[in-house]
Amino acid sequence: MPSLEKLPVVILSCQVLEDLLGRFLPEELAGDVVYMDYGLHRVPSKMTWTLQDALNSIEQPSLVVLGYGLCGNGLRGLKSGQHTLLVPRVDDCIALLLGSRRAYIREFEAVPGTYYLSKGWLESGSHPLLEYQEYVPKYGADQAMWLMDQQYRHYERLVLVAHSQADLESYRPQALEVASFCGRWGMRYEEILGSDGYIRRLVELLSGVAEKGLDGLNGAGDDFLVIPPGGEILQEQFMR
Amino acid sequence: MSRIYERLSTAILEGDAEQAGKLAQRGLDQGLAAKDILDNGMVPGMDEVGIRFRAGDMFVPEVLMSADAMQAGLNVLRPVLIASGVKLIGKILMGTVKGDLHDIGKNLVNMMCEGAGFEIIDIGFNADPEKFVEGIKEHHPDVVGMSAMLTTTMRAMAHTIKAIEEAGLRDQVKIMVGGAPVDQAFADRIGADGYGSNAPGGSELAKKFVGAA
Repeated sequence: MPSLEKLPVVILSCQVLEDLLGRFLPEELAGDVVYMDYGLHRVPSKMTWTLQDALNSIEQPSLVVLGYGLCGNGLRGLKSGQHTLLVPRVDDCIALLLGSRRAYIREFEAVPGTYYLSKGWLESGSHPLLEYQEYVPKYGADQAMWLMDQQYRHYERLVLVAHSQADLESYRPQALEVASFCGRWGMRYEEILGSDGYIRRLVELLSGVAEKGLDGLNGAGDDFLVIPPGGEILQEQFMR
Repeated sequence: MSRIYERLSTAILEGDAEQAGKLAQRGLDQGLAAKDILDNGMVPGMDEVGIRFRAGDMFVPEVLMSADAMQAGLNVLRPVLIASGVKLIGKILMGTVKGDLHDIGKNLVNMMCEGAGFEIIDIGFNADPEKFVEGIKEHHPDVVGMSAMLTTTMRAMAHTIKAIEEAGLRDQVKIMVGGAPVDQAFADRIGADGYGSNAPGGSELAKKFVGAA
């Protein structure tokens, strides 16, 4: 890789990370973010080809940051083409919201059946109450509830993750509404103050790139994947 | 007569449990063999569900309703199948792996395998490796099936296979894996004997393992 080459940086990110990224990205990069619809999560194969199309349409060879995790294999099979890809090495955005993979694993092992809510998911995403409300006109109230029961009956906990006390407070009423609905499966409600650590490391890497070109990625370490031009994202790259 | 098979397939594809139960009963009343109703009416319906789900043309709610319809048909046929002494073709120990509490896929595979003539030992969800090992010791299955819905939890499949190896039981069973994040490459990597891309695929694989396909 030519070390001092100034690659343009493009960020393709899930809408769910808009708030966190917006808070830390330096001004000169903030304009280069394309936020993708959270709805891509519903069909992982759709996520793959939508992101591939977006990648292919970037004309100049660039450093493309993907604001995603493996996301149910949604990123599997993405080809970098002429670009270099930088991807957080996590299963999904929960590790990014909690600040580290270690924090995610800790929560996961404590209560595997946890459903996470965040500002991004509450505003643009999906959650059980919304899902139920979408089912009702399609299937009728009884059938809708039966469908919800089938999908969520084993969950134990609903967690609101936010990155400040103020955010916790402002999203609490909405989260509690979801929690009260999820109470039918015995799910308890908890709040976690997340960490911006992961996103900050990402932003630090990008400022390294602005300074030193692709050499700036040398410090990417275990927490990020760097896919060179002509490469492909594989599932096993995320396994550690 | 074949009209009833077709209608039963459609009822399952459309997730109409009431209709599926009625049609299965009507088939029996008309003198059709329970096994034929299952093989020619119900299984093809679920096969189509599997294909459409994988292609993204059907979503979880529709699949759940189809599964419910399949269950309704099975409930009608099961006592007749048992009474007619249809021989079981093998035994499957099935579970969703540790850390994962999604059991919709596992239950679907169970249903398809039951329909194919297997006895099913279901060890539930969030089943740790030891539970699989104990299950093998106790029930001596021909096939072990593992399911996971998350990339986070599919790693537990590898741990489970390792535990089965360490218990010295690996060559007593065939192991099949499946679930949303699983693919053939992953199955190969962790040393499973096979991968099913959907519920009908899982039951086909199990049949192959016991020499019944």
